[in-house]
Amino acid sequence: MTASATAGTLQSLAAREMRGGRLSTAGFLIGPATIFVTVGLLFPILFLFRYSLNDFKPGVLMIDAFTIKQYVLFFTDPYFTAAFYRTLRVAVVVTAICVVLAFPLAYVIARTQSRWKHLLIMLVVLPLFVGNAVRAAGWMTLFGNKGFLNVSLQWLGLIDEPLRIMFTETAVIVGILAVNLPYVVLTLQSVIEGIDRAVEEAAFSLGAGPMTMFRRVLLPLALPGFVAGGIFCFILTMNAYATPVLLGGPQFVMMGPLVYIQFAIKSNWPLGSAVAFILMAATLVLTAAANLVVQRRYRR
Amino acid sequence: MARLELHHLSKHFGPTVAVSDVTLDIADGEFVVLLGPSGCGKTTTLRMIAGFVAPTAGRVRLGGREVTTLPPWKRNAGMVFQSYALFPHLSVAENVAFGLEMRKIAPAEIKPRVTEALRMVRLEGFAERLPRQLSGGQQQRVALARALAIRPDVLLLDEPLSNLDAKLRETVRVEIRELQRQLGITTVMVTHDQEEALIMADRLVVMSEGEVRQVGSQRDLYERPADRFVAGVVGRSNILPGKVVEPGRFETQGGIRIACAGGQAGPAVIALRPERLALGPAAQGLTNRLHGTVEFVSYLGANIDVHVRVSAADRVVVSQPNRADGRLPSEGDKVEVGWPAEAGVVFAEEAGRPQA
Repeated sequence: MTASATAGTLQSLAAREMRGGRLSTAGFLIGPATIFVTVGLLFPILFLFRYSLNDFKPGVLMIDAFTIKQYVLFFTDPYFTAAFYRTLRVAVVVTAICVVLAFPLAYVIARTQSRWKHLLIMLVVLPLFVGNAVRAAGWMTLFGNKGFLNVSLQWLGLIDEPLRIMFTETAVIVGILAVNLPYVVLTLQSVIEGIDRAVEEAAFSLGAGPMTMFRRVLLPLALPGFVAGGIFCFILTMNAYATPVLLGGPQFVMMGPLVYIQFAIKSNWPLGSAVAFILMAATLVLTAAANLVVQRRYRR
Repeated sequence: MARLELHHLSKHFGPTVAVSDVTLDIADGEFVVLLGPSGCGKTTTLRMIAGFVAPTAGRVRLGGREVTTLPPWKRNAGMVFQSYALFPHLSVAENVAFGLEMRKIAPAEIKPRVTEALRMVRLEGFAERLPRQLSGGQQQRVALARALAIRPDVLLLDEPLSNLDAKLRETVRVEIRELQRQLGITTVMVTHDQEEALIMADRLVVMSEGEVRQVGSQRDLYERPADRFVAGVVGRSNILPGKVVEPGRFETQGGIRIACAGGQAGPAVIALRPERLALGPAAQGLTNRLHGTVEFVSYLGANIDVHVRVSAADRVVVSQPNRADGRLPSEGDKVEVGWPAEAGVVFAEEAGRPQA
């Protein structure tokens, strides 16, 4: 009796030891990431939010306060609202074009039987080896008023005035598109690869033409890929910095550069914080909303 | 429901020949099985009938209509895929209705036809389920119902049973066969499983390396195999290499002389069905009688395989029915193996052509 009770206690102790051991191992493994996220992301955001409620006076800079003045200023000043809507517009347009352009490429890469498949994937990733700033600078030499294209066309006598390509919304959209496309292609490709090819053939054999097959079978099944890729692209565009600055020029202000301008150039930390917070909130809310709408539309 | 004709159908993938000059005439309501090892071209042939693969040469006619260049969605061929290929985002009923919707059938008519198709495969209660909520066997039946619901001219089955466990396979193959007969639908099935092929087919097409080796009934293939390959695919054979000394006389590599039916003088192999060989007293009075030593005995339940060495180079397997009164031979026993001359089928060895 006593012996068995002791054995039981020992066993439960051993089990607890084991569980405890596992727990401490798990804690050890996820610890660094948790600390990193907390210190590197969560704290700054909290401070940012607190700063955004402070007041600002030129000369004095930040004054401790508890006011929504910065937010009111943002939404009443046309300079800021224009930047806000401009950013939204660019993000929506880029995301829409990106998803449409990425799909055929992603599909081909996902479905190819070629032994060059890995090379194709490398080619898609390759542009990412060139940083945004380097790429944008390259574009300036190519498309600027005194860039290669305009000089060539003028020399050929095809145009009198240089074509205005740089410092336009189109230039920014095309520039960001080029940066984001690989991410969306790879996201979509991995989802399409998970769809059984035979499912497409089944639709064909049941009488669906390619368009109907796409609409009724491929699109609903690839939807998680479209959503993930679209969200990825949208967030990247909302927060784009280098491309709008270099290709958009000083007049074409988007939200990302605006945060920098307020912090570094105007030294207006409260307003800069508010801009950053509005950007973050808008990105989050719109992403969540889009996700919800899509999920509801294609439930199952 | 229609007649299916393949005329000199070929498919080349670059330098590789996947299917070479296949000609078949499949009657209305016939169940034909393409049988062969993987890579023999049977699946490519099926996919050319379905329209997924464009033939390099040749023609496909379905119900008297030329369909060679038609895309799959204009062919009216119902296909059951190896992976079933059910639409994972659609319910069972929606899966079955898909083909009917594509045919612009009125919604009022679709519903009874879906119910009818699901009743055929005994899945009436599962209409609202999603494919992932079904077992493998149930998914297979949904795939069948979906293919049959469109009332296709031809039903194409691509290894439909290979993902089912052995027990289920035995019942499903009989069910499919009965359903096919009841509907009278022209059917082409692809399989590498000879037992499955023998059970289900009206007619078998044995393929190897892209070519049709033999077309015929189960009995044709078993008793009159066209070549050594067919002899190995349908049923089992002891293959003894050697040569035909003169018509009716065969000599094995091991130097054993045996009587056979016909044959042209020259290098050849003789194929002997294990179940046509007699052992011990049963061998008395048969034309060919060889003395040998039992080397190995496999107890398979219904049958017992006895491996007998008859010469230094030759060993034959004798398949004995397992009878209650039978005495089991054991390793090392000296036994007599016998068979009538006509039980051996001789195939001349073509020079340079490797025979499977």
